[in-house]
Amino acid sequence: MKKSLSLLLVSALSLTMLAGCGSDDKKEETKAADTDKESTSAASTDTEAGSTDGAGDISGKVVFLTNRTDMVGKQYSDYKKRFEEKYPNVKIEFEAVTDYEKTEKIRIATGEYPDVVLIGSGIPNSDFPKYFEPLDDIQFSGDISFKDLKSYEGHMYGVSSGGSTVGIVYNKKAFEKAGITAVPKTLDEFYAAAQKLKDAGITPLASNFKDKWPLDTWIYDVPTMIGGASDHQNKRADSDTPYTMDGVYGQSWSILRTLYEKGFLEKDINSTNWENSKKDVAQGKFGMYLLGNWVINQVIENGAASEDVGFFPFPTDNSGTLKAPLNPDWFYGVNKNGNVAAAKAFVKWMIEESGFDDFAGLIPTLKDKQSNLAQLAEFNGYNPQYIEAGPSNDVATSIQNAAQIDQGKVVQEFVLAPDQQSILDKYNKLWANAKKSVVK
Amino acid sequence: MLSRLPFGTQKKIIIISFVALPLLLLLTFSYYPALELVRLSFTNWDGMSPDKDWVGFKNYHEVFSNSEIFGVFKHNVAYFVVGIVQNIAAIYFAVVLNGKLKGKYFFRLLLFLPYILNGVAVAYAFGYVFDTTNGSLNFVLGKAGLGSETSWLGTEKFVNYTLASIGFWRFMGFNMVIYLAALQSIPGDLYEAASIDGANKWQQFRFITLPNIYKIVELNLFLTVTGALEVFDLPFVLTNGGPAGASETFVMKILETAFQFNNYGLASAMSVVLLIGVVIVISIQRFFLSRKGD
Repeated sequence: MKKSLSLLLVSALSLTMLAGCGSDDKKEETKAADTDKESTSAASTDTEAGSTDGAGDISGKVVFLTNRTDMVGKQYSDYKKRFEEKYPNVKIEFEAVTDYEKTEKIRIATGEYPDVVLIGSGIPNSDFPKYFEPLDDIQFSGDISFKDLKSYEGHMYGVSSGGSTVGIVYNKKAFEKAGITAVPKTLDEFYAAAQKLKDAGITPLASNFKDKWPLDTWIYDVPTMIGGASDHQNKRADSDTPYTMDGVYGQSWSILRTLYEKGFLEKDINSTNWENSKKDVAQGKFGMYLLGNWVINQVIENGAASEDVGFFPFPTDNSGTLKAPLNPDWFYGVNKNGNVAAAKAFVKWMIEESGFDDFAGLIPTLKDKQSNLAQLAEFNGYNPQYIEAGPSNDVATSIQNAAQIDQGKVVQEFVLAPDQQSILDKYNKLWANAKKSVVK
Repeated sequence: MLSRLPFGTQKKIIIISFVALPLLLLLTFSYYPALELVRLSFTNWDGMSPDKDWVGFKNYHEVFSNSEIFGVFKHNVAYFVVGIVQNIAAIYFAVVLNGKLKGKYFFRLLLFLPYILNGVAVAYAFGYVFDTTNGSLNFVLGKAGLGSETSWLGTEKFVNYTLASIGFWRFMGFNMVIYLAALQSIPGDLYEAASIDGANKWQQFRFITLPNIYKIVELNLFLTVTGALEVFDLPFVLTNGGPAGASETFVMKILETAFQFNNYGLASAMSVVLLIGVVIVISIQRFFLSRKGD
């Protein structure tokens, strides 16, 4: 009896304490939810009011959930002013969150989420009709890129906020010092230029081999340029031997291996330092990067003058035709239960008028629009043939996960191993086994 | 209210209420996740989907049959070897710094300081030491005429020893402090009596010091073994498992399996295997040490 009494007391004690913690959380949550509800309900009532106003006239409140916390109070204030000038009846609000995809998932799960969101990669295309409004009827002033990436059953649910490409980011001063007068247009010219850089005491290409992720360009983008098609990662699902010497991967990685064997990469590729490499490229100790255009701003931040940083398409063969991949950035999606009309106007405005693409260093989504970035203008001056990224395929990804193939590691082994074919055979075997278990 | 109850009941209430909270925390944050881990290791959960299919011992079979997974344990051998050396050095320094030595508190502090530093910061700092082209170690070696081109983190043969040496630098002081505490609990008259009987320093160490700190040696070896099996932060930051997977450790493999390949079931099975492995190694070690100790 006494024992049970004491137990009861103890459990009561711990319960109250736990409850104490719990109630705090709950209060905060409900508060957050309340504000959400307020905003969305306000928005929806406003739309109703707006629609009665007359055709084409839009009004109400639009909330944009963004990942760019750095732009709040700066560019976004300017966007708000300019957008509301054009659409005086609309009130736009920016809500910036860190850890975007996780937050978005939770918000969507609760059913109350902002009018305009960025579509996280974790949401499968087949779920789009549940959450988002089709955006096919937005009248853009021209053709846009990445129409099919976030689409389902013929409707487009996402509009890319911009694109990026991959090529050689180079230090013009270093090229000058090495006596390179024109950027290489073929692979042989590229090797020759690298030799000149090496002779001038400059490390030709910063591979950042150790860190693995900078090798992604050799896995995704260089094969795209070699094969002239962006679906090579998906096509692996149809094959038992996706990695072959004469296939796009073997060709791509052989270029990297050649660069390594000729001493065109860092002195010790197993001891590279990403942060330092940016400074070294900025100072001209390293000549080039093979990375996306996003790295340009980082090199400039590390001390290079903007006019000293150049960007040209990477020549993967000796044909002289240059190719470049075109990869999407975040996609705008519109909440189908939100203030749809105003949200669509906002998406259109972001793409066409905001200037966000130039600010973020992205290639404009509108195909006819020219980027104001000097480096992108230079890049386009070489007239590369852009190869647009296509939708990804879950089958290939699941096989890769089941086979536990870390493609970055495969590239590392391919470059370092004495016998490349045995490396490819090893991973092809893993792939074939995993394929059997995944595709039934 | 409590004072009216009999003393025995009061004691029980106090004890239970004090024990309940830590127990509750322990159960929720340590035992419940551990049990959940075991449960997940029998499923094929991908980390997102609401349904987890029971797959029996398939994951365990995979862990033991896939040489890619189990083979990485040989990388941990280096940490184990260096760990043994580290303990010997720790005992040596503890004995030296327990004697009469000028500035011994300063030296103790100096040796212990690396342990306080954050592991990732240490790894990051050593990245600059072991860098092949700009690293300070190669610079010093070059000045001494010993060759400045060694790729410390890029040579498959000894990359693990390079990494383990950082562990040595970091944890030696910690082991030393534990030994020091044990040494200080040995009464001084034992040594006095021994020296009157004509025992030299080595004999004193062998027959007085070592038997007295046996339990502590055991503890330190336990820490070393688990540390060697579970090493993660150094290779993760410094080499990312490279060159070409030569410095990948088992814990890194678990992480990769779970978060890169979305195979939480297999990763859980790997964790459980690691747990069992540690228990087995410790049991063997205890078996041998306790027999010698008696």
